[in-house]
Amino acid sequence: MTTTETSTLVTRAGERRQRRSPARGVRGRSPFRGGWYVVLFLGPLLLFYGVYFLYSFGILGMVSTERVGLTFRNAVDVGMQNFVLVLEDPTFQRSLINTIVFGLFSVLVALTLGFILAMMLASGVRMRRLFYTVFLLPSLIPMSLFATVFSRMLETRDGAINDGLRNLGLGFLAQDWLGDPTAAYVAIGILLTYTIGLPIMYYTTDVAQVNASIVESATLDGASVWQIYRIMLFPLLRTTHITVILSVILGSFRAFDIIYFSTGGQPGGRTDITGTYIYKATLGLDRVGYAAAASIIVLIIALIISVVQIIVRRKAS
Amino acid sequence: MRLRNAAVTAAALAASALVLAGCGSNGGVGGSDDVEQNTGEKATINYWTWFPPQATLDAAIAAFEEENPNITVELRTFEAADYQKQLPLALSGGESIDVVGVQVSAMTNSVKDYLHPADEWTGDWLADINPTMVEQTTSIADDEVLYSVPMGSIGSPLMYYNAAMLEELGIEVPATAAEWKVAVDEIKAQKPDVTPVVFTGEPYWQEEMLFGIAEQNSPGLSDDIIGGDGAWDQPALIEGLNTYKSIFDDGIVGTDVLSLQGTRPSELFSAGQAAFYIDGSWQNSLLSAAYRSENGIELEDVGVTGLPVIDGGSPAVRALAEGGLAIPAASKNVEAATAFIKFMVEAGGADVWAKDLVLVPSLDGYTLPDGVLESDAAQQGFQTASTLIGAPTSKRDSQQDFLNQVEGNAILDVLRGTKTAEEAAATMQEEWTSGRYPHGSDQ
Repeated sequence: MTTTETSTLVTRAGERRQRRSPARGVRGRSPFRGGWYVVLFLGPLLLFYGVYFLYSFGILGMVSTERVGLTFRNAVDVGMQNFVLVLEDPTFQRSLINTIVFGLFSVLVALTLGFILAMMLASGVRMRRLFYTVFLLPSLIPMSLFATVFSRMLETRDGAINDGLRNLGLGFLAQDWLGDPTAAYVAIGILLTYTIGLPIMYYTTDVAQVNASIVESATLDGASVWQIYRIMLFPLLRTTHITVILSVILGSFRAFDIIYFSTGGQPGGRTDITGTYIYKATLGLDRVGYAAAASIIVLIIALIISVVQIIVRRKAS
Repeated sequence: MRLRNAAVTAAALAASALVLAGCGSNGGVGGSDDVEQNTGEKATINYWTWFPPQATLDAAIAAFEEENPNITVELRTFEAADYQKQLPLALSGGESIDVVGVQVSAMTNSVKDYLHPADEWTGDWLADINPTMVEQTTSIADDEVLYSVPMGSIGSPLMYYNAAMLEELGIEVPATAAEWKVAVDEIKAQKPDVTPVVFTGEPYWQEEMLFGIAEQNSPGLSDDIIGGDGAWDQPALIEGLNTYKSIFDDGIVGTDVLSLQGTRPSELFSAGQAAFYIDGSWQNSLLSAAYRSENGIELEDVGVTGLPVIDGGSPAVRALAEGGLAIPAASKNVEAATAFIKFMVEAGGADVWAKDLVLVPSLDGYTLPDGVLESDAAQQGFQTASTLIGAPTSKRDSQQDFLNQVEGNAILDVLRGTKTAEEAAATMQEEWTSGRYPHGSDQ
């Protein structure tokens, strides 16, 4: 069993290397190898994106060192003061930690529950399409709508969750979901778990590319289903894991609508994330510069995560 | 070599960004003093606002145009939150607008640089406007200049009650915490499905409740702290926090109410599932039987009163002039715009929009047309609310960023027992002076 597994995986790794080698050859050559028409097609797009990003980042960078309002008039240069104030703010620190914790939780759910559900769906379970729809639906409808409905469900007295628990004779489990920090974290955890659809899609797409003969060989060698998932498929899908991890973690920086429309940061701002922090920071007079500084800090952190991911991915390849 | 190329590229990109950003941050030019005025016989004025509702505005404009056949009003309305962002950008971009509605507290300082000072276009008729409201509108501006004429005033907190339900249960409208407790216990006993007291648990609303209770014994506390140099950790505020918490400790309000968000409290009250609903005077429309009928609210009778006195003192309401009407400096129709604003704040316009009951009109001595309010509870309630708003204990002024990031959460922590009043007050004071929330002379 062990010998067969090892040899099969080694063979597969060799196939991968062979498939990738031409691409590596291309990477070393001129980017204009495809001819002038490549530049013709890509140029306008690059220009569009370049102007968009440069303009946006330029504005953010300039404004972040000022005390200024929405009209951008009467700006007062405050140097790096906005950055210092943001970094020293315990509310910002907590929202940053929450962003990362919620991101890591989503990763954990995606790599475990998401992976298992994807494998089950890929195994040809009955009513597979219905299950796909059920799991994907929360990822396809606007999260603001989904979170708003969820917020109603969280009401302590008449909310659907507590009502349901009471009707099932489980009233002792009813919680003050927005008043107790632990309950609020659990509520967000449930909400984040509903967004598992995209990781499931990534996995089911990539698992279809796995050579079926590997699984057949393992089955013939007497491997259990659990062993096939754990020892074979999970490692084989490592590039998918990396894609899932990156998309989920970076997605957590854009989870504004999930938090804002569900808990609204309650209780006492303990479930705020960087997105809701920046939004609230813009509400005051002449606070656009402060919010811009917070945005830049978050942007830099997100970029660092992306760079780390790229390095890890290259090493993994 | 590669590093050098990268550095040059990065420098070029950064320079491009700054040039592009520089082009965009000019913000346009507004408020020219040399705008040529329309001297023709006819004028069309562009009017932007977020208030009152479109149907009311259309009726008011129709009445104005009938009186002034040479002036046409082109109306554009916005949702309130959008308007706060769109109007400053439109004015800075030189948009052609002749009359603008100004949210006095939230917008005056962000748009005043693009407006004519009111003394350039108002006349003797300004003396007919409630002087407290004019003073509030003036003092809200950093430079203490009047830029808009307020249509009226709003105040909070006020307590709306299901008058028919209270009558059915034989409950008197409570004026003190003790009476309130009796009423709540009676409602719980006789109508267990009804939530006795509702209000929103969102952070922003906690300031209204806190000062509404604290100022029963310490009038002017909000003005002292938010508008002045008073500290958040002063004894009067700590006492106010403890008094606010006491209505939860005494069982008058349940902490489950704090999970109500958005319009949910209003929905519960309108559906007859709540007996008392605490909000601001912008909910005065609930007093009108016609409004309730048009909006499918099946409540037989609704009244309003001030928040019951909790620990001695007198009912307190913070109020502020609202619905300011102003003329942009770039307007070419100042004369026509002035005529329109004068019409709106005087009886001709007020008779049209005041029926919505959202604002207590700023016109001195104004009374509602007959038939707007029918029941005793509604008539007396509106009178009570108008009296409280006409003599507020403080300006209804908030620092939104501080309120949403710090203050609201600190108050909620006290109500939920997570922090003591002293700890919450210390947190608020520490953050207030941290430099993160510029206020007063810091700005």
